[in-house]
Amino acid sequence: MENSKISAAEAISIVFGIFVTYTLVALPKSMLESTKTATLINIIYVGIIALFITFLIYKLLIKFPGDDIVDIAEYLGGKPLKVFIGIIFIFYFLFSSSILLRNFCECLKIVYYPMTSLIFIILAFLIAICVTLHHRFSSIAKVNLLIIPLVVISIIFLFIANIENFSFDNIFPIFGDGLFNTFITGLGNLGAFGGITLLYFLPPYLKEPQKMKKVYLTSVILGTIYIILCVSIILFMFVSLMYTNQIMPLYSAARHIEFGNFFQRLESIFLLIWILQMVCYLCIISKISMSTFKKITNIRDEKPMIFVFALLIFAISLLPKNYAISKFIEDYIYHYMVIIVSIFLGVFLLILAYLKKRKKKELNTNHEQSI
Amino acid sequence: MNNLFKKIFIALLIVMLLLAFSKSYSTLNIDNLSVVVAMGIDVSDKNNLAISFQFTNPSSVSESGTSEQSPSIIYTVDASSISSGINLINTYIGKSINLSHCKVITFSEEFAIQGISDEIYTLINDTQIRPSTNIVISKTSARYYLEQSKPLFENLITKYYEVFSASSSYTGFTSNATIGDFFDSLICHSCEPYAILGGVTNNSTEYTGTTNSENDSSTKSNASSLSGQSTAENTGLAVFKDDALIGELNSIETLCFSIIRNNVDGFLVSVPNPNKANSYIDLHVTPLISPKVKVNIINGTPYIQLDCTFTGRIYSIESGADYLDANMLTQISNSCNSYLESILTKYLYKTSKALNSDINGFGKSARKNFLTLEQFYDYNWREKYKDSFFKVDVDSSIRSSSLLTES
Amino acid sequence: MHIKDLFSSLFTYTPDDKQTYNFNLIEDPNTKAYTDSNLGKEGNDKTKIFPSLTVNLDYLKSKYNLLINSDIIFREFVLNARGKQYNALLIFIDGMINTEIMNEFILEPLMMRNKNNLYEGSQNRVISEAVANNITVRKVKKFNLPNFISSCLIPQNAIKQVSTFEDSISGINSGNCALFVDTLNLAFDIEVKGFQQRGIEKPSNEIVIKGPHEAFVENIRTNTSLIRRFVNNENLVIENLSVGNITKTKCGVCYISGLANEDLIAEVKFRMNNLDVDSLLSAGQLEQLISDSSNLNIPQLISSERPDKAASYLLDGRVIILVNGSPYALITPGILSDFLSSPDDKNQKTLFSDFTKIIRLIAAFITLLLPGLYVAITSFHHEILPTELLFSILASRANVPFPIIFELLVLEISFELIREAGLRVPSPIGPTIGIVGALVMGQAAVSAGIVSPILIIIVAITATASFAIPDYAFGFHLRVYRFVFIFLGYLCGFLGIALGFFVYMIAMCDSKSFGVPYTIGISPLEHVKGTSYYLPPIWKREYRPGFLNSRKETKQGHISMKWKNR
Repeated sequence: MENSKISAAEAISIVFGIFVTYTLVALPKSMLESTKTATLINIIYVGIIALFITFLIYKLLIKFPGDDIVDIAEYLGGKPLKVFIGIIFIFYFLFSSSILLRNFCECLKIVYYPMTSLIFIILAFLIAICVTLHHRFSSIAKVNLLIIPLVVISIIFLFIANIENFSFDNIFPIFGDGLFNTFITGLGNLGAFGGITLLYFLPPYLKEPQKMKKVYLTSVILGTIYIILCVSIILFMFVSLMYTNQIMPLYSAARHIEFGNFFQRLESIFLLIWILQMVCYLCIISKISMSTFKKITNIRDEKPMIFVFALLIFAISLLPKNYAISKFIEDYIYHYMVIIVSIFLGVFLLILAYLKKRKKKELNTNHEQSI
Repeated sequence: MNNLFKKIFIALLIVMLLLAFSKSYSTLNIDNLSVVVAMGIDVSDKNNLAISFQFTNPSSVSESGTSEQSPSIIYTVDASSISSGINLINTYIGKSINLSHCKVITFSEEFAIQGISDEIYTLINDTQIRPSTNIVISKTSARYYLEQSKPLFENLITKYYEVFSASSSYTGFTSNATIGDFFDSLICHSCEPYAILGGVTNNSTEYTGTTNSENDSSTKSNASSLSGQSTAENTGLAVFKDDALIGELNSIETLCFSIIRNNVDGFLVSVPNPNKANSYIDLHVTPLISPKVKVNIINGTPYIQLDCTFTGRIYSIESGADYLDANMLTQISNSCNSYLESILTKYLYKTSKALNSDINGFGKSARKNFLTLEQFYDYNWREKYKDSFFKVDVDSSIRSSSLLTES
Repeated sequence: MHIKDLFSSLFTYTPDDKQTYNFNLIEDPNTKAYTDSNLGKEGNDKTKIFPSLTVNLDYLKSKYNLLINSDIIFREFVLNARGKQYNALLIFIDGMINTEIMNEFILEPLMMRNKNNLYEGSQNRVISEAVANNITVRKVKKFNLPNFISSCLIPQNAIKQVSTFEDSISGINSGNCALFVDTLNLAFDIEVKGFQQRGIEKPSNEIVIKGPHEAFVENIRTNTSLIRRFVNNENLVIENLSVGNITKTKCGVCYISGLANEDLIAEVKFRMNNLDVDSLLSAGQLEQLISDSSNLNIPQLISSERPDKAASYLLDGRVIILVNGSPYALITPGILSDFLSSPDDKNQKTLFSDFTKIIRLIAAFITLLLPGLYVAITSFHHEILPTELLFSILASRANVPFPIIFELLVLEISFELIREAGLRVPSPIGPTIGIVGALVMGQAAVSAGIVSPILIIIVAITATASFAIPDYAFGFHLRVYRFVFIFLGYLCGFLGIALGFFVYMIAMCDSKSFGVPYTIGISPLEHVKGTSYYLPPIWKREYRPGFLNSRKETKQGHISMKWKNR
């Protein structure tokens, strides 16, 4: 929203939160499925590429201070392009978060609520979202700043508590399915970096724009390290056939924690923390979608649209007829959506806008020189 | 009016959610549960399973904490699969069964020989079963084993189940085999599963076990010289190839298994006395670091090197012997080294030649020799294991003794 | 007694002489008995004092309802000033003045009885004289009676000249006396307060181990004197405001000029000056009137009865509001860390105060979440419990007829009943009822098989934790909201509690207190200077809280313990 500015730490935690949320459900599993035991090498390789892309995005965005990608699209192609780009990004956000919500709720239903229909579990999330969307963006960012350390601590605890169950030999053979699979086909793992999409929308919200470089690079580096941590937990704990067939690998890892005879089966506490993170992510994405919508339609206040967006998420999350379809979408289609929409389309747009700006500057200097 | 509509809408939402979640509430509420503490699966005629569920009555845990033992109740049902068995028991008992606190799953020996992968898959996929549930292969029928599991020093049988595998860390004669590990090993290409070997002692003191050496550490379940109240015992290991039982290990072999897997914190061995024939010295040996395993593929066959480092203390003494002499200590170390190497080598060749089952997990170290997974799968470690050669190096330094007097 | 009388008394009709007493305040609630009176709506028009004493007297008689008011005293006398006599009138309220002061220092010097007041000479004093052309021009200084009375005649320490009736009436109402003199169109407001009030005692609700043991009282002047003694600096400003159209309650806004943020002071005064209420009787009412709106009903102003706490907040740059008649000071702004800290934290070593802060944080979580978590775990997630604990819960619940949620609600509500009843029981048996009631009821309920012993423990721990919260209003807020979490835990287990907790945190982070975000300084990742939940060691407390934006940033030198460097 207009007056909600967020500090650098909150911005980092918002972008980092997107990495975190996707790893909670099935991201590590899909990465391991594609590159098997070479995933750790692959993530480092892909992480470096993502860092370059982030740096490129930062360099291009800094030429348009305070503008997000919708404004840049307007600069590039006028109103039609602005509306088109806005709709693409809104669709991307809603679709990816609805599918994620659907998968998460399916897992919750299997574990905790076998007799309850899926609709009501999703409805519970949506009621919480509807209530919180009436508040400002900065308070959602503050709460996110409080929840992210909790989630990170829970994952680190998961790692440390399971060390006795790890077999570090699972990392061999080191190149998994082969060099080609690791480095060329493995580029599909760039889909793990869906948080980059949010980087396009951050500039108007930053309280201290001079810290933009630090925010962008830190969040992607932190995201990479976090994904490495999650993947290593699953890689070391489970064998290859097993992790490709689980619904929520981190949850299964949490089931193995055992301290003596009385602290067993602590996974419910982990799920409590992960539910907090999931609903926080949904609120942030909805807020950004709504503000983008406000930009492209020029409405005065987006508060009445809260119910509409919540219903949209509800409807899209119920679209897949069964769990297999939604799992398929998240495992395969989501990666390509990220690569196409956030990486190619976004960078392409930014480069075009930058070229246009440079051309204009040259024309201006030529014009002045001729005068 | 607007406010009134809002309040009605909120009230409707709450009622709807209450109705929706109340079904799960009534399924999972603790008032409606009966808690299973152990399960047993036997072979029954007509290709069915005979599934036994062991309950305990929680009301016997009263406020004042009685000292009498809580009786355990066992129900057995004939069914075609575990899920249909649970269904039948649910109708019989009235309260719904919950497996979240099931501590032990027992398969009878004759059932395990046929292959248990279906049951394992069913159990591991159940959200209620803990991956840390112990899995036991019983030499008698599973039901008899459960009936005979009576805790000696505890009131609740669950406490007994929780600690009975703890002796693995200080004797090495049994292991803490869990269903999670079993499943992992079952689907992994580089190792084979194993389970605890359970049985029931006989009342007679007749010793019917096979002996490999002169000392009495080669016992295993159902064949031990333990005599006391008729009770279940867990000594030894059940070895599987894929999902079928193919062999057993006695206590000393299980000790070797625990050493290689680094599951044991310290153990007692009786090594031959270097100075006297037919006499033994008891040593308490502690591993210093986890054993180093190195696997090389030479001409297509695996060559496995095992390096173990121990430190030890003398545990018992014969009269007139002086064990704090430096020379003496070196001799005892050498004797211990050769003894441990011999039992380890014997055990390793048993697993490879006789049983062809890599329960030690050497396949995981073997993967370092391959660059891609496809090469490893093509090699087919599970079949090539029986051709392996072993070389065992034990370095134990007997530092001192745990004795109060020198001689 | 004849049988005939008996029959007649039984069967004859005697009309009902006695009529039941039937008094109705209002026949029909929809019709008003009176139109709104103008009481309290005087507005800003002020009536000037008349020069004639009789007119003033009549005006005041009608204003004060003298014919029916029993404690308003009008004392007419003759005032002797420099040899001339004037009629004068003294008005005061019996019971609120100190009669000795009035007799010795006002009546005696003014009446003819005072021989020092005799004077024979001319009333006007000649300053200079000039003679020109047989005409003498004299510059004469006229005799100024009001100045003469106030500066030469009345030896009382506080005397003010007022020119409107409203000012003199407000002075009379607060315990001063008003002196009206014939031919003067002003009155004198003389300080003679002498009403009874409670002495300074120990604080009853905020007890500390190492700090001072003085508490505020009802009189605003005593309270301001307590604060002044702590701050001991001339820059402490105590501005006077009056709130309430009828009661015109005196409130004092205290701040240290040169330290407090000007915008904060202006905002506080703006809010207090724009209240349209008839009466203001306590600080609690004022707190509700000037707080920001919040969905959560969290306290947004700190209210304290300790002057040392108020002074320490003043020196940070906050603004204190004192209300006459209430022993509580309101401290603005108030953030979440303040409600979980006790005034004793700064008096003790950092390690001990951080330890108690951790305990208080745990207590806050337990008060809010423990019953809800218990219901959630036993309803949906019982696999967390160790098997033996589950068995003891099942065993203890074997004979209980109610479901867990019902048991829990019954116990919680009865505990709240005991708490409320304990406030009203006469003091010798008050504490005993609380303890005995809880124990006996709990034990009897367990023996009767109505509740399970585990639940008694849960409820007792929750109650004990709620007593560990230093701020009463915040503790109350947590006690009320735990019922919401109990319901959410019953509804859908950990999902409900997580979602509820998330919404709760959002609402809390969204609240503001006088322009300051409520949860500032709580997150360890966001560093605001001088603000954090845990206290740093004393040599590190260099900065004032950054969110106050005070005009002086540091409150300690970089090396505060200079003796260590010698």
